[in-house]
Amino acid sequence: MVPNPLALIAEVTHRCPLHCVYCSNPLELAGTKAELSTEEWTSVLQQCGKLGMLHAHFTGGEPLARPDLAELISAARAAGLYTNLITSGIGLNEQRLQTLVDAGLDHIQISFQDSREAAANWIAGAKAHAHKIELSRAIRKHKIAFTVNLVVHRQNLDHLEEMIAFIEQLNPERVEIAHTQYYSWALANRAALLPTRAQLEKAVMIVADAEQRLAGRMRIDSVVPDYYAKYPKACMGGWGRRLMLINPAGKVLPCHAAEVLPGMSFENVREKTLDWIWQESSSFRKFRGEDWMPEPCRSCDRRGEDFGGCRCQAYLLAGSDMVTDPACSLAPSHGIVEAAVREANADTAVAQPTLASSFVQLQKQTTDLWSYRTNPE
Amino acid sequence: MAAPADTSRPRLAAGCRWGPESKTGAGEERVILFPEGAIKLQGTGRQVLERCDGQRTFGEIIAELQKQFGAADPAKIRGDISQFLEQLQRKRIVDY
Repeated sequence: MVPNPLALIAEVTHRCPLHCVYCSNPLELAGTKAELSTEEWTSVLQQCGKLGMLHAHFTGGEPLARPDLAELISAARAAGLYTNLITSGIGLNEQRLQTLVDAGLDHIQISFQDSREAAANWIAGAKAHAHKIELSRAIRKHKIAFTVNLVVHRQNLDHLEEMIAFIEQLNPERVEIAHTQYYSWALANRAALLPTRAQLEKAVMIVADAEQRLAGRMRIDSVVPDYYAKYPKACMGGWGRRLMLINPAGKVLPCHAAEVLPGMSFENVREKTLDWIWQESSSFRKFRGEDWMPEPCRSCDRRGEDFGGCRCQAYLLAGSDMVTDPACSLAPSHGIVEAAVREANADTAVAQPTLASSFVQLQKQTTDLWSYRTNPE
Repeated sequence: MAAPADTSRPRLAAGCRWGPESKTGAGEERVILFPEGAIKLQGTGRQVLERCDGQRTFGEIIAELQKQFGAADPAKIRGDISQFLEQLQRKRIVDY
């Protein structure tokens, strides 16, 4: 008997007003017409409750692009789930926030791209920064938990102290200092985003100081990026161990990136129950447990902690999902990650934010640096 | 950051709440849900947090539990509960 999943990640749409260059959505986005209906999501959320899940994380794209978001939150609460909204805040005003809180929203997590407006809008490919600040003030009028998610990378790590001070002013209970993870859009843009070792080492000290200074007031969650770590991350807490992700079209995945894996098919909630997908589907069983593991994982003491690392990263970097994650210093393919790190440290240049009057113009002016996330049909 | 004062009124932080009974059944265990996780509580831990209602003061909570655990060393009870709440405050699950 497989233990219950703990949480659902509900990608309710891939539509988004932002174009962040490190977006974790797949390069092939799910189209608007394929999106699950309100009734289909409601059935999914009821199934999640029965499966024993505790949390529903509503994300996207931008979940606020769904006009029925309040209904989905209230369906999640009715199913006994803790509700979290992961959002850019675009599409939220005080009135709609009140509606979501009334529907049973427990926690809101707003992403910030930077403390500096021009830089933030440059990363997001949208003028979103000022609205996020305004919204943060409105959030604090409600008794819901508030987390700021700050994505850090080569282009903003040099002023991490300033960014933490900026976030303190917004007064959240917690901040996630999330180093960019290199999948999909971020992998395509890795050269512009991967930090130098010096940037990283300085950041680790700044975070440690801030943690001590802010203890009891603002909790900081931060993880060393896996390219610079000795061992790989336990991606999603292990394949098929804790989480289920459902994409806008109802496809059920063990993680954000799994669709890139070759030769795998994933089930759809339109055809199968979540319980069956969790327990029985070949996709969720494929990398669950230790039977699939190659050496050096198979005989490694850490195999119960990191589960061989991330299957998608193994495929994307080393060309096979059956090998140890190349981020692991013990992996035969670790040289691939070392080469990327060497390249990132060959020079320490960072770019200047580009200002443009429209997104199309911004795209044109930055083609040498990165590609912005686009929107689905 | 400091231990709770006797006059403070410990309470669950914003967005932290007890999970529904359907998640825990009729047993002794209860669950607290918070943004990125959950903790299961039973025994003393549960009795402490059930008293963190924003009404009782820390001093009152201590007195109630010292009375209940009459045989145990009162100073140790105070120390343990204080440390427990301080840890939860660090995680932003409890305010005082």
